[in-house]
Amino acid sequence: MTVSTARTATQEDVWIPTCCGQCYCMCGIKVRRQNGVVTEIEGNPAAPTGRGSICVKGLASPHLLYDPYRVNYPLKRTNPQKGLGVDPKFVRISWEEAYDLVVGKLEECRQRDPRGLFFQATTTQASEIRFGVIGFMKGFGTPNYWVSGGGLHCGNGAHFMNGIMHVSWSIIPDFAHCNLALNFGCSKGHGAGHTAVQNATQAADARVRGFKNIVFDPFQSAQASKAHEWVPIRVGTDGALALGLVNCLLNEHKIYDAEYLMYKTNAPYLIRPSDGRYMRDKATNKPQVWDVVDKRPKVHDDPSVTRVEYEDVAHEVALEGTYDVGGVRCQPAFALLKEHVKKYTPEYVEKVTWVPANDIRRIAKEFGEAAEIGATVTIPTAKGPKKIPKRPVGTHFFRGSQGHVNSGWTCLAIDMVNHIVGASDTYGSAMGLGAAVGAGYEKTGKPYQIPYPCPDGLLVAKTWVYDHVPYPLREPKPPTRLDLHDMFPTSIYNAFTIASPKWFEMLERFKIPYRPDVMINFGSNSVMTMGNSEIVTENFLKKFNFILSFQLYVTEFEEAVADVILPDACFLERYTPAVSFPSTFSHPQGEDDWGWTIRQPVVEPLHERKDFNVVMVELARRLGIHGAFYKGLNNTIPMRYGGPMQEKYKLVEDGSVIHSWEDICDRLLKDRFGEEHGLAHVRQTGVFTWPKRKEDVYWKWFNPSRVPIYFEYFIDAGEKMAKLWKQFGGDDFFKFDWSRFKALADWYPCPTHVEESQEYDMHAFYWRAVVHCNSMTQQNPYLDECAQEDPHVYAIQMHRRTAAAKGIADGDWVWLENDKGHRVKGWVSLSEGIEPRHLALAAISGHWGNYMPIARNKGPFFNDLVEMDLEHTDPLTFNQDICCRVKVYKADPSDVYKPLH
Amino acid sequence: MDPNVNGQLQRDWGWLIAAYLFLGGVGAGAYTIGAINGLAAGGADFSTRVGLWVGFPALLIGTLCLLLDLGSPVKAVLAGVKLKTSWIARGFWIISAFMALSLLHLVLLEYTAVRGAVLAAIAVAGIVFAVGTMAYTGILLGAAKGIPFWRTGAVPVVFVVSALVTGHFTLLLGIVLFGGRGMAAADALELMTAEAVALVVGEVLAISFFLQAAFKQPDSRESAERILRRTSFVVGYAVLGLLVPLVLMLVLRYGLEDAAARGYRGTAALGAVLGLVGGLLLRHAVLVCGTLPTWNIAGFQFRRIARPKEPKPGIGLLPPR
Amino acid sequence: MPRYGMVIDLKRCYGCYACVMACKVKNHTPPGVFWSRVLKGERDEYPNTVRQALPVLCMQCEEPSCQEVCPTGATHTLDNGIVVVDKDKCMGCKYCMMACPYGARYSVEDWESYFPDGLPLSPYEVFAKAYWEEHSGVGVATKCDFCRDRLAAGDDPACVKACPANARTIGDLDDPTSEVSVLIKRFRGTPLNPELGNQPKVFYLAPR
Repeated sequence: MTVSTARTATQEDVWIPTCCGQCYCMCGIKVRRQNGVVTEIEGNPAAPTGRGSICVKGLASPHLLYDPYRVNYPLKRTNPQKGLGVDPKFVRISWEEAYDLVVGKLEECRQRDPRGLFFQATTTQASEIRFGVIGFMKGFGTPNYWVSGGGLHCGNGAHFMNGIMHVSWSIIPDFAHCNLALNFGCSKGHGAGHTAVQNATQAADARVRGFKNIVFDPFQSAQASKAHEWVPIRVGTDGALALGLVNCLLNEHKIYDAEYLMYKTNAPYLIRPSDGRYMRDKATNKPQVWDVVDKRPKVHDDPSVTRVEYEDVAHEVALEGTYDVGGVRCQPAFALLKEHVKKYTPEYVEKVTWVPANDIRRIAKEFGEAAEIGATVTIPTAKGPKKIPKRPVGTHFFRGSQGHVNSGWTCLAIDMVNHIVGASDTYGSAMGLGAAVGAGYEKTGKPYQIPYPCPDGLLVAKTWVYDHVPYPLREPKPPTRLDLHDMFPTSIYNAFTIASPKWFEMLERFKIPYRPDVMINFGSNSVMTMGNSEIVTENFLKKFNFILSFQLYVTEFEEAVADVILPDACFLERYTPAVSFPSTFSHPQGEDDWGWTIRQPVVEPLHERKDFNVVMVELARRLGIHGAFYKGLNNTIPMRYGGPMQEKYKLVEDGSVIHSWEDICDRLLKDRFGEEHGLAHVRQTGVFTWPKRKEDVYWKWFNPSRVPIYFEYFIDAGEKMAKLWKQFGGDDFFKFDWSRFKALADWYPCPTHVEESQEYDMHAFYWRAVVHCNSMTQQNPYLDECAQEDPHVYAIQMHRRTAAAKGIADGDWVWLENDKGHRVKGWVSLSEGIEPRHLALAAISGHWGNYMPIARNKGPFFNDLVEMDLEHTDPLTFNQDICCRVKVYKADPSDVYKPLH
Repeated sequence: MDPNVNGQLQRDWGWLIAAYLFLGGVGAGAYTIGAINGLAAGGADFSTRVGLWVGFPALLIGTLCLLLDLGSPVKAVLAGVKLKTSWIARGFWIISAFMALSLLHLVLLEYTAVRGAVLAAIAVAGIVFAVGTMAYTGILLGAAKGIPFWRTGAVPVVFVVSALVTGHFTLLLGIVLFGGRGMAAADALELMTAEAVALVVGEVLAISFFLQAAFKQPDSRESAERILRRTSFVVGYAVLGLLVPLVLMLVLRYGLEDAAARGYRGTAALGAVLGLVGGLLLRHAVLVCGTLPTWNIAGFQFRRIARPKEPKPGIGLLPPR
Repeated sequence: MPRYGMVIDLKRCYGCYACVMACKVKNHTPPGVFWSRVLKGERDEYPNTVRQALPVLCMQCEEPSCQEVCPTGATHTLDNGIVVVDKDKCMGCKYCMMACPYGARYSVEDWESYFPDGLPLSPYEVFAKAYWEEHSGVGVATKCDFCRDRLAAGDDPACVKACPANARTIGDLDDPTSEVSVLIKRFRGTPLNPELGNQPKVFYLAPR
């Protein structure tokens, strides 16, 4: 290999624009290649997601590409025994042998029942999944799929609820104009979340401008450290605090945006007292509101009572009072909400959250006043200047506040604060991430995301990451999937079924005629990312007959259970025509342009590595299901990528044509951006950009939809689910709390909060450090070294006073043990920056596998403390609880964890 | 992980530099005392010869230690370029001059008949550069702005006193080993034990002053605390290298008195050897306890993170590979 | 000829380490070497505790104590104010490392791989080793030089460019209208530990 330092005449020195793949933020990067070797990485100034800035993880990527511990050849397990601590005895095999073996297993599976094929994938390569996983699933004929850890820890609550309220994956302050934000357990704009780099720039600009940030978090997170005020809060109680704020705003300070509530929410919908359902117009079946001017009920979309744009004129509708409609005495939803939240007095909330009552009152007032209710600004739109509300405040949340058994309602409660003051998707307010609305590139009208109202008037997403939009809900159906997903329309993924020791009994009882057979894993290390590693391995992973894994490293997952490992290409070695989902997920935020980044190989896959999607195309061909696979892709693309395919770009479904992966990429791009903007064009800059309209950024008062503050449809869903559950005898397995399926938000305690034993006196929780993403980056020696530069990343953070009382010193080794006897070991880093009853652990550390030596033995492995039963699961969204009560005691550094069973 | 990145401690100067500073001090100290004794004796006495036989070789070995520590020793020829500002450059010339003079002195004294004014002049010049060498070993550290612990006038004082003590002990040892059992040697020994008491007391005072001053400065306190937690310093240097020799010398001076007494010479030799080892341990301890200052801004005190010892096996499920 | 200086706005900085990594991947520094570094600090008792990050690098002092103590003249100041080490003159005495009160200098005796077990070097590490040996050198003092090759090419240093918070600004201290001069004046930028008297050309703006 020649090195650039040798000044040869034929020197290659090029910068190749592509998209980072170290996490799910999808930042544009430029990669320097000198004489065929990747040597440097920078941000791509052409990409609005970052504009030339880039984070620590992306910069460290050369070591991901060239890590000598990468899987470079297909490997086959020769030890039939599986499990944690078992030597898999992998041997190298040829690609042909691997293909034959895998095709054989898939053929057998298809013969038995194609639904026995189960896909598991990582969140890091969020978009790659949509092709080789989702498309293939459809082609093969299996409904079984999940993103390990992803939805369980971060997504089920937040993404579902943000989808309902903002047609987006996440919410974020309009940093450019927001004056005060309340943040609940997240570090948005401070290195975490989606489009993290762009948000960090915006947040820094905002801080300099004078933007105030109040952060509720049990410890000094990155965001809290930059905040105007850090308010320590008991882990898992954010929902109670949010409802306390709603109560203060509505009942103490009487601050709310009546205009917004009347025309942009279902607050004025009249509610039947007998069953909590909407009062509906007999003729149209539409929900009704009370017209204060005409003094009679009207359907919600009656032109006289609707205001799409701010400058529209409409009759006032009732938010309070009791009205007689056809002999039924009914009240607007708002009146019910106002009454409902009265129980969240600041004093009660203080008991739950440990946040002083006066602080709650003060912050509510400050927030309400900063909302500047009534203020407007005029923005330029395609139809000339338009007046819209200015609401420069927002509440925000992410993983910390929503990773609990109260996840769904906590997310809604926190976001409710925004809707009370009208601070949603307008100037300065809480925004759906990636400005959730877009009309698409002007010449093609794609990719679009134009939400529309359902017949009940509520906001419906036009495109979404999954087949089904978050609202309206799927109809609960007798299950066909291995995780019984079909029955539960309010969840994305669930673990309590598949990780249960009674999984197969449940499959029997719920009349699932097939069993888990073959698993195809794409990039996930579910042994470490779902919860307790023994539970995951024993109850779930060992139930498969054959496991194929596409992977960069031999992780703990492969070591424990994989039969064949195929060497995947990393993001620097592959094409991806679309890295994200317009416009709900990691798209440019704020007023800057739209940008569609792509991945392209900076180097050809090294050794015998092959890109996952290339292999899936080939597997489909060898199985003879390529036509069906292409059909699956044709069906997958419209929902995910903002609009249907034109006929001429659709993949040929009858099997007469073999499409290469590059051809598929090219077709998608041409379809979205026109014949001249195919792969060859977008490769030049790595990103396709087009201007963003202001009315798409601040879309709330340009769109006819309303959002719910009263979740009437949860009642129906709960009743249907309960009926199905009972019909199959589900209660024999788990006792569901069906009362959570109701219309008004409440806070529910986690097991952590009701733990009575004084022995388990500490609240342990986990946070995400900016230097790592998921579990893979721990093997990157640049990032690992950087993590060691931080006093907390590989440590257990503990308050000085607490440690002193327990006789623990800085740097001591300790065990944390939960009431189930699961325990993790780590060293303690003492700090004043943590609520004294809490312990904070970062990242998915503590690898023990034999094939990731850099990652090995770094930091504590929090997830071993995460129980995976229904007791630790949100019944509404199936989000897992990631706080736990533990006891702390000193450890001998050489102690080895002994499995319980 | 590289221990260099561990906290505020300097980890780049260790045993080799300690040996360099120590040998520079021993050689120059022994030469100085020997040469002064010689001048007092009107030419040379036995201690002058010991000083000469120790001085040049000690410096030679010390310089070798420095060369071994250099990252690029071939470029050592450039070491004297920046005489105007750099103490290493100055040291280069001072030590070179001292080595040249002491070598000349040795050759003239041992292998020629040159005596009298010429030799005295060379001795005086040699003493000047020997004192310069002793002082240099301390000033080198005292001029290092990055290590507040060193950056004090007390370090050169301590190092000069220690150089004299260790030089003196070297002469003492030389006389015990090679000085024969004659009256002259006995007289010299008796005188030297008395001088040693004074010198060691001087060093005790100097080191106490140095540490006390270090404790007063916030930036050097950590170093002072570290050095007092260090066994090689407290036991090796302070007790075995300083107090025990002091006691032994006191015993010799006031207990045995007569150098012909039984055990006198053995005790003297023991005290000298302990004192010499102590001198080396002192320099090493001062070096490795050097820490960078804390960086202060906006009410925060910033330090590099002191990483815990490498995580031990047993975090995960499996024992180490 | 400009006199380069840098302003780091601590209000913008949230301690993400991007500057650290940008420096690593631009200068290919071996393990343990951080020309650009981020320190983490904590102040005040619970619940008023605040954490803050402090990015540090070579302060390019006007009165560089490293240069003063350098015996060979390897360390010198360029006309543009950047303090550099001539690796061909440095004998590796490490005295400059003892003299720099900001801990900005690093010396590597033997180039080391980031990976254990003595495996063959990856193509990137082959490049990184050759780059290090050519541009910085083993057995000599090394330090940040404000990416002077990038400055010469009209680009910002790697750390400045990567920073997601735009916390770093580089420019001409002699030009009163330059962004750095304006920021220092307007927000009263101060160097780190000014009492040391080295007169750094890196200035910090207050975090709150």
